[in-house]
Amino acid sequence: MEMHQIRYFLAVSETLNLTKAAARCNVAQPSLTRAIKALESELGGELLRRERALSHLTELGQRMLPMLRQSYETALAAKAVAASIRQGKAAPLSIAFSQTVALMPFTPALRELSRAFPGLQLKLSRGSASEVVEYLKSGTAELAIAGPLSETWSRLDAFSLFEEPFDLVVGRTHRLAGRNRVDFKDLASETLLLNTGCEMVEELKASLDANGTLATHQVATQDDLLVLLKENLGVAILPIGRTEMNGLCRIALTQLNLTRKVSVYTVAGRPRAIPCATLLSMLRAADWGDTGTERRGRAH
Amino acid sequence: MAERVPISDVLEEALVRCRNLDAPLADRLQAFANEVRRIGPHFGSVVDALVSRLVESNAGATAPKVGEPMPTFLLPNEEGRLICLDDLLSEGPIAIAFNRGQWCPYCRINIDALARAEKEITAEHRHVAAIVPDRQKFAMWLKSDAKAPFPVLTDMDNGYAMSLGLAIAVGDEMKHMMVTSGWDPSVSQGTDNWMLPIPATFIVGTDGIVHARFVDPDYRVRMAIEDLLAALRTAT
Repeated sequence: MEMHQIRYFLAVSETLNLTKAAARCNVAQPSLTRAIKALESELGGELLRRERALSHLTELGQRMLPMLRQSYETALAAKAVAASIRQGKAAPLSIAFSQTVALMPFTPALRELSRAFPGLQLKLSRGSASEVVEYLKSGTAELAIAGPLSETWSRLDAFSLFEEPFDLVVGRTHRLAGRNRVDFKDLASETLLLNTGCEMVEELKASLDANGTLATHQVATQDDLLVLLKENLGVAILPIGRTEMNGLCRIALTQLNLTRKVSVYTVAGRPRAIPCATLLSMLRAADWGDTGTERRGRAH
Repeated sequence: MAERVPISDVLEEALVRCRNLDAPLADRLQAFANEVRRIGPHFGSVVDALVSRLVESNAGATAPKVGEPMPTFLLPNEEGRLICLDDLLSEGPIAIAFNRGQWCPYCRINIDALARAEKEITAEHRHVAAIVPDRQKFAMWLKSDAKAPFPVLTDMDNGYAMSLGLAIAVGDEMKHMMVTSGWDPSVSQGTDNWMLPIPATFIVGTDGIVHARFVDPDYRVRMAIEDLLAALRTAT
C-alpha cells in the first residue's frame, strides 16, 4: 500500500466527507476516490460506504483505521529521517519521566540517539502521574515514560515496555537489612515511606490495608523518599527492579504481589519529530528481558 | 476434540531439511512450499489468493526502481545500535534484504542462504543488511538461527517498508490461517497491526542509487543468490 492512499483514507475517516477530505489533502476528489479504491482492492474489501456528504467507515474500515494510522505515523518519520540526520542541526527532544521510573535503563538508547543526532538537545522532566499527563497534553513533553497513568485521555497512546515487581526496601543499616524475605508482621513497628506522586500509590495503599495498616510518612518526591530511607526514617515498598541499589537493601515481602508495567506514552495524532519517533521505535524494539507480551493499547 | 498440533510445529523438521539442502535458494524455498501444500492444501490456496490480489493491485510497484535513489533509513540493529544506510554505504555496495520475520520459514531459509553467501560477498568488499518488522529479541533469534554475520535491523510497524510502498496488510482470512498454523507475527512485532513487508531485495551502490532490485509480492519467492552476487559485483 502507498502512503498517499492511507493519508487520503485517514482524511476521510476524520471528515466523513469525500469533498472535504479531498480539499484537506489538496487533491481532486476523483484522485482521492481512485486511491481509496486501490487501497480497498489491495485489502480485499470496502473501507467506506460512499455517500457524498455522509460517508462512513465499514466494519473493515473501522478495524483497519488504527492499524493503518500506526504504521502511517511511523512511515512519516521514516520518510523524513534523511533530511534530519544529514543536516546535523539542533534536534530537541523533551521526555517526561515519572518520579519513580529509573533513568538508567534508558541511557543506552539515549546514547545511541545522541550518536545518530549530533545536534540532539534533551530536555528531561520528572513528575507525578498527573503531571506527566499534563506535560504530554501541553506539549511540554513529546514522549513520556511512566508506570500506569490512571488519567483518562483518549489521545494517550501507550506502548508497554516491561514489568517490575514491588519489593520492600530498607536502608543498609536498618535492622531488617540482609534478610531475604520478611512478612507484614515483621513491619508492625515500622513507619512506611509513601511517595504520594507514585503512579501506583492507590494500589499500594490498598495492598497495605489488606495486610493491616502501617503508620506512614508521606513525601511528594522520590528523591526525598530515598533520603529518608537511607537515614532509616522508615521503610518503603518500591518498584525497584531496575533502580540502582546504592545504600539500600531489597527484601522480598511475602503476601505482597504487586507489579507495575512501565510504558512509553505519546499523543496520538500529533506529528512526531524525528528524534522522538526514533526513540519511540528504539524503546519498543528493545529487548527488555522479561516479557514477550508487550502490545500496544490505548491507555484508559 | 483432540488438540491439533499447529502446522508450524509439524513442519519444523521439514523446514530444517529444506533449509539445509545443498541446492539453489529457489529450490529450497520451493521444497518447503511443497511441504506446506502437502500438509495443508487449503493454506496454499489462501496464500495464492492473497498473492494474486497483491499482484492485481500492483503492490510494491512504486518501490525504488533501478537508477533511483534508495531512501536512507535509521533503524536499530539486533543489539539496539542505530544503523543508518549512509554509514553502511560508506563500507561498499550493499544488498538490503527485507524479510517478514523470525516466525516465517521462508525468511529463515532466505537469511540462511544469505549467510552462506557471506564469504563470497565480503571478499569483494560488498555486504548485506536484513530488515524485519520484528523487535530486537526476534531479530537476534533470526540472526543466530542462520549464524548470520550481517546486521538484522528492526523496522517497527513496517514504517520504512511502508514509506517505500512495500507494506501489505495480511487480511482476515490469511491472519486466521496464520494464527491457527502457529505463524503469528504479532508477538515478534509487538503490535497487532498484521502488516508485513513484501520481502524485496535491493542492491544499492555507494552513490545510494539502486543498482538492481527484486520485488515480488509472492513471499515464497526471493532474489536468487546468484543474481544478488552478480548485481553486487557490478555495483560500485
